[in-house]
Amino acid sequence: MKTTTKIIAVTTAAVLTLAGCSSGESVDLGDGTSDATSAPASSDTLVAAIGGEPDQLDPHITSAYFSFEVLENVYDTLVEPDDSLEMQPALAESWDISDDQLTWTFTLRQGVTFHDGSPLTADDVAYSYNRIINDALTTSWRFAAVESVTAVDNSTVEIKVSQPTPNLLALIGGYKGMAIVEQSNVESGDITTNPIGTGPYSVAEYVSGDHITLTANPDYWGGAPSVDTVEFRFISDGNTAMTALKNGEIDWTDSIPVQQVESLTGDDSINLTVAPSTDYWYLAMNENRAPWNDVRVRQAVAYAIDRDAILQATTYGTGVLNQLAIPEQSGWYTEYHKYSYDPAKAQQLFDDAGFTGATLDFLATSDYPETVTTGQILADELKPYGIDVQIRTLDFATWLDEEGSGNFDMFMLSWLGNLDPDDFYYAQHRTGGGFNFQGYSNPEVDALLDAGRTETDVAARKELYAQAATMIADDVSYLYLYNPAVIQAWSPNLTGVSARADGAIRFRDAVQG
Amino acid sequence: MGAVLKHPTVAFLSRRLLHSAVVLLGVLVVVFSLLQLVPGDPIRIALGTRYTEASYEALKSASGLDRPLLVQFFSYLGNSVTGDLGVSFRSGQPVTELLMNRLPATLSLALVGIIIGLVIALVVGIWAALHEGTVSDAVVRIASQFGVSIPDFWMGLLLITVFSATFHLLPSSGYVALTDDPWQWLRHIILPASAVGLVAGAILTRYVRSAVLEVVSMSYVRTAKSKGLSRRVVTFRHIVRNALIPVLTIAGIQFATILGGVIVVEVVFAWPGLGNLVYNAVATRDYPLIQGTVLLIAVMFLAVNLLVDMLYAVVDPRIRLS
Repeated sequence: MKTTTKIIAVTTAAVLTLAGCSSGESVDLGDGTSDATSAPASSDTLVAAIGGEPDQLDPHITSAYFSFEVLENVYDTLVEPDDSLEMQPALAESWDISDDQLTWTFTLRQGVTFHDGSPLTADDVAYSYNRIINDALTTSWRFAAVESVTAVDNSTVEIKVSQPTPNLLALIGGYKGMAIVEQSNVESGDITTNPIGTGPYSVAEYVSGDHITLTANPDYWGGAPSVDTVEFRFISDGNTAMTALKNGEIDWTDSIPVQQVESLTGDDSINLTVAPSTDYWYLAMNENRAPWNDVRVRQAVAYAIDRDAILQATTYGTGVLNQLAIPEQSGWYTEYHKYSYDPAKAQQLFDDAGFTGATLDFLATSDYPETVTTGQILADELKPYGIDVQIRTLDFATWLDEEGSGNFDMFMLSWLGNLDPDDFYYAQHRTGGGFNFQGYSNPEVDALLDAGRTETDVAARKELYAQAATMIADDVSYLYLYNPAVIQAWSPNLTGVSARADGAIRFRDAVQG
Repeated sequence: MGAVLKHPTVAFLSRRLLHSAVVLLGVLVVVFSLLQLVPGDPIRIALGTRYTEASYEALKSASGLDRPLLVQFFSYLGNSVTGDLGVSFRSGQPVTELLMNRLPATLSLALVGIIIGLVIALVVGIWAALHEGTVSDAVVRIASQFGVSIPDFWMGLLLITVFSATFHLLPSSGYVALTDDPWQWLRHIILPASAVGLVAGAILTRYVRSAVLEVVSMSYVRTAKSKGLSRRVVTFRHIVRNALIPVLTIAGIQFATILGGVIVVEVVFAWPGLGNLVYNAVATRDYPLIQGTVLLIAVMFLAVNLLVDMLYAVVDPRIRLS
């Protein structure tokens, strides 16, 4: 079987997707014909306020979302997710998979250059991936099945995998943490503050603590962006950011207090977008401790809590309830509505388990206030069953320590930016999985998750994950709560931007005026 | 040469510098130990949501955190003495460079803040003291009590709401370097500096008022008055100048406190200063950066106090540096 994707098909797909997106008017498709000269002078700069400062700009080192909000516009990956999160060609124009599924051959786009003018070659791709693998950088888990990455010739890269890896495209293109970097930029150390990529914008200035200025890359392979300059400012206080947006000091922000969403909805002075995301919030109970190791107790808790109350209190109604991880808009979504707010059923399950009462050590963190709010709701709702919820509010660094050492009865946290079902379920629920802090173990689920990793037939793979996810939720390995929204606001003068489900901030198609 | 060393000013300075060095060593020891005691693993935070054991070990080794604690401490101490504060775990940049990038913003905020505070305190405090017991004195006392009780970040939010959100007079956030554009620098600094300055002013007003009141009751003031000196001369040469001595100490401490304590105000105004930097450094357990920032704040604190001690001599010739 050979899979070949051609650039023409993708361009068409991109046009269709963009035409279908909400901010449809005057979208610049990067064909170079957009008339930036007729716009007023002030439209040359787009000022975007993000909620914090990137820790650094080396895409292979940083793990901060703030960094990737900037880097999304600076770097490219071989493939990248489109608006519906399907992988499309980016630096790779096409790819072939060998019949045994173990060799992926990528053909690079011709004529792509880095911001310093040097041409992109297969060596750059091999260097980037091997850097991640050899230095065991934070994203090296994405190459777990990869045996080698080699440059066959100037424009051909070969990736050999140890087992069929149907999600390889999502692994190498899911976000800009898998960017293709320039070796000399890495070796000089400049990459931390002055990264050189192939993306639509290049970094022009970085003033620590204040702003990062990007300049349009006239040679961008997707066509020069319409907006000449993008300035990222760091405004962590949501009230300050909203004031700045209304005053016209900034043009775009995602630093928005969720409490204000309702009052901002009718405000004509800004465009507010609340879009579903692929992130999800969940509760996990410690299965290495009694009584939470009893599946009936965990199920009883699942029936005892009012998810809608938690959703309203934490997201002010902007999120979407979901009893599994993957949101409804994803192609991997599975219908599942087992649980409901049912005190009688909860009591029955507690009784069946012989449960009469317990204290519950609930890990919350002030860095994510929704965890504190939820803890308070749980304390109230679980009290009638004899559960004394004791909320421990820690800063996130300490919280991670406690989670890692298994020192909790229950915690609440979210997972962000996952695309492939393997991202959603494997590390979290596989026996001994790296992030299976709750200690869940079900051999059937393990077998399904293992099979999902290598199943190349999409429909069969979807079925495997549907089964695994259903068992995971039946067993309450995670007690899934909701998918939060991506909330962004921008000036009505700004078009060609949209709130993406994966949270990627792309300004390459933005138009001011 | 020997004579120079024996000069009271030089002797005073060298003694104070030695003293400062001991304090700084103490600061280093305390901060280093505290960071070891505080829970939170910088490696885990840096790696983000998903990583492998191999990545963990690789970063730990690259950060030098796999070495024995004593080795870590003495290598840090040795490097600090030469001015090398290490490399930030998170940004990969030298700590010294990060600190120097941020220092101007914090210094300008603290300086303008303390000037606003001092102007308010001197005018209002002296006025209130000279009109002790009147209605205006009572108003000043109530207002200053109010000011002391208000957290500076809340004052900041209030100022943004009034002057930026409602009247659109001033920008709500951001920083422009004085050297880039003095007018924009002023426009951007007014609100955060006022937030800091109004609170500092309230505190200082109370000190100025009571210091002036104390001096007013001194016999030399009575003597000066009875000698027939003009009211102006008595007020400024005899009363205010003497009252300034304790006020100077408090103002120095207040200034140093602002330097080290404007964290939340900087966060509210997205002000690119040290506060914002250390706030993130603590959240991510960026040890080198936390240590470096605390060290810098300690150095500034000591420098301000030294400066204040030296200013005493200017204000009051009776005070000998010995």
